[in-house]
Amino acid sequence: MKHLNLPKEKTFTGPASIWKRIFAFFVDIAIINLIILFPFRNLFKDIIPKSYSFSEAYRFMSTSTNYAGFITSITFVMSVLVILYFYMMEKRMGQTIGKMLMRIFVVSDSKELKAWQMLVRNLVFIPIFPFVLLWVIDPIFMFFTKTNQRLSEILSRTRVVERFSFEQQI
Amino acid sequence: MNANQPNFRWGYAIFVLLLLSFLALISVGVLSLFVGVDVESLGGNVALIPVHGVILGTEDSESFFETTTTSTDIVELIEKADKNPGIKAIILEIDSPGGSAVASEEIANAVKKTNKTTVAWIRESGASGAYWVASAADYIVASKVSITGSIGVIASYLEFPGLLERYNVTYQRLVAGKYKDIGSPFKEMTNEEKALFQQSLDAIRDYFVSEVAKNRNLNKKDIDKIANGLFYLGVQAKELGLVDELGSKDETIAYIEKKEGIKAELVEYKKEKGLLELLGEVFSKQSFFVGKGIGSSLLDRQAVSSVSITT
Repeated sequence: MKHLNLPKEKTFTGPASIWKRIFAFFVDIAIINLIILFPFRNLFKDIIPKSYSFSEAYRFMSTSTNYAGFITSITFVMSVLVILYFYMMEKRMGQTIGKMLMRIFVVSDSKELKAWQMLVRNLVFIPIFPFVLLWVIDPIFMFFTKTNQRLSEILSRTRVVERFSFEQQI
Repeated sequence: MNANQPNFRWGYAIFVLLLLSFLALISVGVLSLFVGVDVESLGGNVALIPVHGVILGTEDSESFFETTTTSTDIVELIEKADKNPGIKAIILEIDSPGGSAVASEEIANAVKKTNKTTVAWIRESGASGAYWVASAADYIVASKVSITGSIGVIASYLEFPGLLERYNVTYQRLVAGKYKDIGSPFKEMTNEEKALFQQSLDAIRDYFVSEVAKNRNLNKKDIDKIANGLFYLGVQAKELGLVDELGSKDETIAYIEKKEGIKAELVEYKKEKGLLELLGEVFSKQSFFVGKGIGSSLLDRQAVSSVSITT
């Protein structure tokens, strides 16, 4: 019997499954919280009385304009660090740690990922209006588009994909 | 190295995390410079000052094993709140088993000196020296099950000449001054020394009782009767007149709002932390104490002839 000299494995890329994306996102958020944003806890402890419950702390922050301004500054710095994490990881490797674990990638519709694309796809982390609207709109788009793309991904012309492979049977 | 190689990918991920953690620490350090410094300008009309843990005089006497607070810090915060015209009242949020008699008296005096309305809000415990502090406030709020009272003085210590004898270690007494080594754990206390010690403790207790009576506008004899070192639950303390109201933070705030006719907005007064201190906290209290030196902390506790009198 003659064997054809064909590659044994063929791969192609397609939209990453939603559950893999969600899991990767939570892994990233956990890592960011535990490692990068950990020092900020002490800062918040210093300005919000320890004895406050969550609702009291919220009321405290929303009623005191000076505190709110200071907390907004801290939140802004935190969001810059979060965006930097996604930017540095995805720009260089197309993956964050969560995506590495889930074996999913960020790709550009054009040849390579550009800086503006990375920034636009991470606009969701900017904690000011109108970007906060993306917290709701972005996931909705992901669930209702064939390519599982978030709105900010459509705008940035990027998508998250995974590799599928199958063995060639001859 | 290729970005597709797994080793490179994980190495790069670790590098990014380390770099961003470093940036976060720097950011926190810079931001912390603005915390506390302008606490007055950050608003609030009621200062909340936490008095948590064993009350000590200075940071040098801080313990590795328990939460502590120093009278130096608390007095400073009270004075700061007192000087701030925006602050109408001061809440002392007490959760302390007591501590040094001198340190407790220092805080109590600072509370009495203020021109603002002062309220002691006793949480889990406000016993002994911490109750001394609370009694100096204009009003005391405690939970029904808070531990209060425990008016008394203690100076017990371990004595181990028997142990030394067992290991053939002898205590060579070299003193200039008959009572210079009174309270040394290496020798047995004589009856005369015990009597002298007891006199001092009684005198401190008597002063403690009279201060509490004066602060609470109660008869000294009545306080004397209950000043046997026993603690009282909030509900019992209310009956004895040691606290004014049973409740928690809401009742504390309600009292201030009624008395001052204001809508209370709390601002927490805490010791200002330097950049290094804040960074130290990031690596947890343990790391901080490792830096400070566990050994020195332990040695401090074993200092010879250091019988501490605590309330």
